[in-house]
Amino acid sequence: MDSIQLLHWILFLPLGAAAFSALCLRRLGGFAAWFSTATAFTIATLALVLLIKTDDTISWHIELAKFGNVSLGFGYLIDANARLMLFVVSFVAAWIHLFSVGYMHEDSARGRFFAGLSIFMFSILGIVIADNLLMTFIFWELVGFSSYMLIAHYFDKDFAAAASKKAFITNRIGDLGFILGIALCLNLYGTLNFAELASVAPLKGAVPIAVGLLLMCGFLGKSAQFPLHVWLTDAMAGPTPVSALIHAATMVAAGVYFMARVSFLLAPEVLQWIAISGAGMAALAGLCALAQTDIKKSLAYSTLAHLGIMGCALGLGHPELAVLHMAMHAFFKATLFLGAGSVIHGCHHEQDMLKMGGLLKKMPLTAATFIAATLSNCALPFFAGWYSKDAIIEAAWHDEKFVVFSFLALAAFATCLYSGRMIRLVFLGTANSEDASHAHESPWTMTLPIAILGLGYSIAAGFGAHYLLPASALQIINEPLHEMAFHLTAPATIVGLVALSFGLLGSLKFYGLLPGRDSLQVFSPRTYHLLENRWMDNVYQWFIDNVVRRVSEFIAFLDLLLINGVAVRWIVGGFTAALGHLTGALFHRGQARGYALWITIGSLLLIWFLLAR
Amino acid sequence: METSFALNPTLLVAAIFTPIIIGLILISLRNLSRSFASGFAFVGFALPALIAVWLLLPCAATYGSPLKEKLAGVWGFYFGLNGISAPLLAMTAIVGLAAGIKALNQEVESRNTYLGLILFMFGGTLGVFGTQNIIGFYFFHEFALIPTFILTLFWGGEGRRSAAMQMAIYLTVGAMLSLAGILIAMQAADLSWGQATFDLLLIGLHQPGVQLPVATAAITLFGFGTLASLFPFHSWAAPGYSAAPTPVSMLHAGALKKFGLYGIIMIAVASMSIGTGTLSQWFLWCALANVVIVGLICLAQRDLKQLVSWSSVAHMGPIFLGLWVCTSSGNAAGLDAAIFLMVAHGLSCAALFLLANGVRTRTGTYRFDELGGLATRTPVLAAFFVAATMASVGLPGFGNFWGEVGIFLSLRAEPLWLQALVASTIIVSAIYSLRAVANVFFGPTSQNIEDQFKQAPFGDINWAERFAAVILLGASLVIGFAPSIITRHTNAETQGLTQISQLKTSQPATPSAQ
Repeated sequence: MDSIQLLHWILFLPLGAAAFSALCLRRLGGFAAWFSTATAFTIATLALVLLIKTDDTISWHIELAKFGNVSLGFGYLIDANARLMLFVVSFVAAWIHLFSVGYMHEDSARGRFFAGLSIFMFSILGIVIADNLLMTFIFWELVGFSSYMLIAHYFDKDFAAAASKKAFITNRIGDLGFILGIALCLNLYGTLNFAELASVAPLKGAVPIAVGLLLMCGFLGKSAQFPLHVWLTDAMAGPTPVSALIHAATMVAAGVYFMARVSFLLAPEVLQWIAISGAGMAALAGLCALAQTDIKKSLAYSTLAHLGIMGCALGLGHPELAVLHMAMHAFFKATLFLGAGSVIHGCHHEQDMLKMGGLLKKMPLTAATFIAATLSNCALPFFAGWYSKDAIIEAAWHDEKFVVFSFLALAAFATCLYSGRMIRLVFLGTANSEDASHAHESPWTMTLPIAILGLGYSIAAGFGAHYLLPASALQIINEPLHEMAFHLTAPATIVGLVALSFGLLGSLKFYGLLPGRDSLQVFSPRTYHLLENRWMDNVYQWFIDNVVRRVSEFIAFLDLLLINGVAVRWIVGGFTAALGHLTGALFHRGQARGYALWITIGSLLLIWFLLAR
Repeated sequence: METSFALNPTLLVAAIFTPIIIGLILISLRNLSRSFASGFAFVGFALPALIAVWLLLPCAATYGSPLKEKLAGVWGFYFGLNGISAPLLAMTAIVGLAAGIKALNQEVESRNTYLGLILFMFGGTLGVFGTQNIIGFYFFHEFALIPTFILTLFWGGEGRRSAAMQMAIYLTVGAMLSLAGILIAMQAADLSWGQATFDLLLIGLHQPGVQLPVATAAITLFGFGTLASLFPFHSWAAPGYSAAPTPVSMLHAGALKKFGLYGIIMIAVASMSIGTGTLSQWFLWCALANVVIVGLICLAQRDLKQLVSWSSVAHMGPIFLGLWVCTSSGNAAGLDAAIFLMVAHGLSCAALFLLANGVRTRTGTYRFDELGGLATRTPVLAAFFVAATMASVGLPGFGNFWGEVGIFLSLRAEPLWLQALVASTIIVSAIYSLRAVANVFFGPTSQNIEDQFKQAPFGDINWAERFAAVILLGASLVIGFAPSIITRHTNAETQGLTQISQLKTSQPATPSAQ
């Protein structure tokens, strides 16, 4: 099988699996679960085969349709970025599928759930291997749809219904800019193909700011960047494996991947904006994570913070660092979410951290992996997260972007704070509720994926990358990986170590003061409230309730009054009524049958007249 | 391949007249037994679908050569297909089959007459796209409209009388205006009714020295526009579709309404060359109003069928804009994409009407405040509805995506604000459609549905609804995955049309340049 055929299989296998599960396995949930998981592992294997087989750039293209002289095509482009992303997506997804088998064991709609996961695989793999902007957009939209479908898994709950809608619409707002950006590219450069764009764009002088700004909109929506970040925390309404796979490891990272792919189309001004807003969001979201008691929401803010850091790397002009951090983040954040899922499962679907506690002894394996992933999250030296995150902070220092650097330092500190809080509240101390005291370790289908992703990849993916990742997927990241090990005295490392020692240890201590309660909320309720309140969400909600709704109702009323009422009923209708009065005696019999008859006769007369001419 | 062409016109005539003849039999033999009538009617609905889809397939015509066979038929009609009408005919046939299955599944008074009239409507709509001469095109449209009024008036729902009257007045006036325009144009091109085909009119009007007053193009454009619910002549559409029985709404909003758009393409855009003048500006503003104002009106709807009806009006906006960009800049991409969206919209909109009625037959209501959480009771219906909604908001994989994106891309040289306004439809349509899904199917089950379920327990989607929905959404998926099925027919045709009309616009004394 050559590489192109392999890619066909990798892309279309999940689509087939999704269709089969959705159409035939609705009532066979158990079978659907294993079927979908087997597919996911097959894809991961095929992807691995592809990555080991060749180091070359693979490209392939066919035309799907032509509109006028615009050719719209479908094709594959596998370069260094795509290799790493392909490995991360297929590998992490396979283990999350296995985790879901255990986690969703008692769910009544597993057919739908696993069909959703498979359609998601199809969509995200499409983004990874797409060779042109339009194909990226197609799979971009499909990812939005699968996310919608999976967030709405518990559709009989109002919050899930609202969250799914919000996620889809917010993503579409970003996509509006994206499609305009695509149109602009087509207009300026006459092609949508990445390779052709890369060769044509430099010939036409500096890339206009608008191109980058519009393409960035798609990234803002999908990667939940300010000001379109509002959907991500609500998206936690979906089942936990969905949060792990889609809303932490892969889909939200797709925006970063895409930006890296089109980085040559981003003007300096655009990069600057991405860097500053990314760094700002990283710091703010990290602090907001302190004011969430729901373990998944707290992790969602953590994801927002890391997405900000990745955005920042893009903005600083280091797309390879952004992609590296995306990969490392995928490993440890997937572990954190799966660990949270295991905890939630063990505590009988309790998600409030204040009601947990003391789980270290009851769920030792989950606790060990969760803590390992947390340390990676906090960038403990030589853990996976350290290689990528500190490299980004380092880059900010090196490029003399001190505003960005200080935001990132604050973000690093906040990360340590909420990480320590999480470990303290969930795993240390004593159980704070009935459910937590009866907690039990999860089955192997759940702990095995956590162990592999957590102990294997969260800790070792940095220094052990050469053993754990296929060599061809490492092309892009070899350099930062090597460099990091020799930079122990750099400012970034100092900042990291200070944050770790004060932040992590301090919050471990601070949150142990009042068992069963949130120390910050008790000592400084104002600060807590400030961080808990969702200002942007409130502004948007106000806009929808007071502006959009009222304007639409007013327009609907005007349409009824002016066009339908005054113009038609009064002016046209008045004329017709006058005519009707004249002819009323003849035609008007008060019966619809009569009208029909006259219309028929009239038409026949007309046709006779026309034919006779 | 040449030999198989000879058969095509016969097949085409069979596709158009089978439903009409069967309809005639059903109406005249009213005491035909139920099962016999059903079977008979089904043939009338299914045969054209088979033929029309066959005519689209690559084996029916050589790849890239549009079907353009003519047959001098009865009463001077020229039956034939061109690259634009072939996909529209296939779409009509598929929508008609789905509408027929829905109609066969309904319990109505005087069932045979009802089915017969729907068959008339179906045959007429097929005739619109199956004829090459203008008289046939026009005749079949009226032929389809009359049963539409009668069906709405007698078998319709709430507010059917006023809706049917309003529809009759609007559509008759619209048709008369466009007819007047065509008559003047034929005079100018020196053609008689008997000979005037689309081709001859096109050639005739593009002869040197032939000039049409702008007013002629205007009344033709806005006359056809009325039939296709162009703002501000759209008031008939939403109440009309809402009041009509579901199979009629499906056929009307899905297929018959495309008569107006097809007329704009073949006569107003191609032959009359609206060009870049004032008329074109007016057309632009009206089309934008379809996108923006009607989009906002959709946001204010609180009733499922009203929403589907209004959204069907709103979706005409991008189609009009595709036609507009074709006339104003000679961009064939806009025309290709508009035709694609016409086909895809026909399928998705019919599916939405079908499934919305599935909600109504079970719960007895279309109102959002009485609905909610229906997915718990009817998961499969909900899944189909979500699929139809996704098709209508232009999710990739469904045909609508190619139409919408093609139109956005064809507008790429226009000012950014214009592009943004048009593309905003992807947000607005997502808001109102997903809100409808959430209000009807998601959340806790509403009290009204629980009561209804206790009174008369209802099941999930039945075989007829399922079959009809599968046909519609399946067709949309097929063209979504393989868009060249449509574009290989339209490409050559639209290139030709735009080239010829560009010649006209580039002449110094263009009629629309004032």
